[in-house]
Amino acid sequence: MGGRNRLNAILRKIQGKEGRIIPVLRTVSLFEGLAFRDLKKIELIVHERTFMPDEIVFYERQPGAGMYIIKKGLIKLTKTTNGEKVTIAEVGEGEFFGEMSLLEDYPRSAEATAAVKTEVLGIFRPDLFDLIDRNPRLGSKILMKLSQRLSSRLRRMTDMKMKEVESNGKE
Amino acid sequence: MEKNEFQKLWKVFEVIAIGCVLLGALLVLYLIRGLLTPFIIAFVITFFLSPVVNYMEGEGVNRTFAIILLIILTFIFLLILWKLTWPTIQTEISSFQKNAPFYTGKIQDKLEGAMKLLEKKAGFIPQGVMQKAMQQKIGDFTSGMGDVGSLLKIVREFVITFILTQVVVFFFLKDGRKIKKVLIAYVPNKYFETFLTLFHEIHQQISNYIRGQFTDAFIVGVLAIIALYVSGINYAIFIGAVAGLVNIVPYVGLLTGFTFGGLLVLIDTGSIIEALKCVGVLAFVKLLDDIAISPVVVGRSVNVHPLMVIIVISFGGMVHGVWGMVLSVPLYCSMRVSLRILYRGFVEYGKW
Repeated sequence: MGGRNRLNAILRKIQGKEGRIIPVLRTVSLFEGLAFRDLKKIELIVHERTFMPDEIVFYERQPGAGMYIIKKGLIKLTKTTNGEKVTIAEVGEGEFFGEMSLLEDYPRSAEATAAVKTEVLGIFRPDLFDLIDRNPRLGSKILMKLSQRLSSRLRRMTDMKMKEVESNGKE
Repeated sequence: MEKNEFQKLWKVFEVIAIGCVLLGALLVLYLIRGLLTPFIIAFVITFFLSPVVNYMEGEGVNRTFAIILLIILTFIFLLILWKLTWPTIQTEISSFQKNAPFYTGKIQDKLEGAMKLLEKKAGFIPQGVMQKAMQQKIGDFTSGMGDVGSLLKIVREFVITFILTQVVVFFFLKDGRKIKKVLIAYVPNKYFETFLTLFHEIHQQISNYIRGQFTDAFIVGVLAIIALYVSGINYAIFIGAVAGLVNIVPYVGLLTGFTFGGLLVLIDTGSIIEALKCVGVLAFVKLLDDIAISPVVVGRSVNVHPLMVIIVISFGGMVHGVWGMVLSVPLYCSMRVSLRILYRGFVEYGKW
């Protein structure tokens, strides 16, 4: 056992330190179960940004370019309906938002604002596609997780719609 | 002043400020253009090699190892190419140097006769003016031909620049993404996504163009050498290689290749028929390129009007010589795509 630990320690030394970004990536469900060397590859395409309180991360309908992972702080997602801003979600540390823009060039569906001073990690769509091209195995793992997330959201929305239809039928 | 009006004015000021910064950056680049050549070459080579490095990395090879391996392989390939073609090129050059004075003299005699006749027929031209001008031009040309002799020196300088460039290429390939991240870190949050999109689009435009043009030039060069050789034209390797190389610059390259090949053969053989044969062979290769090679290799990477291409290339040549001409079209395309993205963000969407 001691030998294996020593070997792991040597490997870690060769691979380099984890730095500030990899520990955050480990907490994100999208990158769950990925090896250190895979996370290192993702680290290379991640952009660190800091937003001040009330600073807009992106506007609703703005052309989307990628997703954000919250390293520290809180992001408020709002939608404008009949001229009024309605908060639809609050996203905290270790969570991510804007992931739909990772898959397609479509306008943002909501506005994201920093509720407090917030540090985020941005992942840009073309960089991710480039990573997938270079590392198809790693790419398929990330895309699988992303698909699972979108699929569960779709299932949730279908359930909600079904409940709505059922309640309308009872009335 | 109302808040809305102030915001509008502030936006206009922001746009002007960004424009000034960009113009300033261009001015600085223009002022230091003499130092840029190795970096431009490295930039071009990086675009060409990065897909191979990415592929190797995708296959599980360590990126640094892949880059070193690729650079070594490039060296070996160039060395083999040098060993195979240099003796022939050297023979062609020395044969040309031996024959040139005789035939330029012959051409000069013929032209002088024609000028005399022209001056005689057109009475308004003072006697000897055209002859003198022509003699001066031919003198310039033949003294310029002495430079062909110093080709060895040029090649040696090229090899030194190439080795230096390889070092820059190594770091561009290895740390390109880190350099990009550092640059992007300085962009304000407000323009972050727009800048990333711009950066990506510009990268795509330039890389597609450079990869396409260089691959096309290589194929055209090889085809031209084969076609000229088969047609029994002297200096097939030299003319073919130059025709391929100048093919990198659209339109202007075509004219340069034809003129160079035609003149070289004309001076060497003194026969207009032979010169026309050479131009004909090059035209055939170019036709083949336009019909079959270019659409596949270059594709629709440059969807620009030919007149615009010529204007842009002339401007590029004026600013930074041959490299300016090579990079002018992709840079123009990048500017066009940048304006489109900024227009989309600023005018269509209203916020960026």
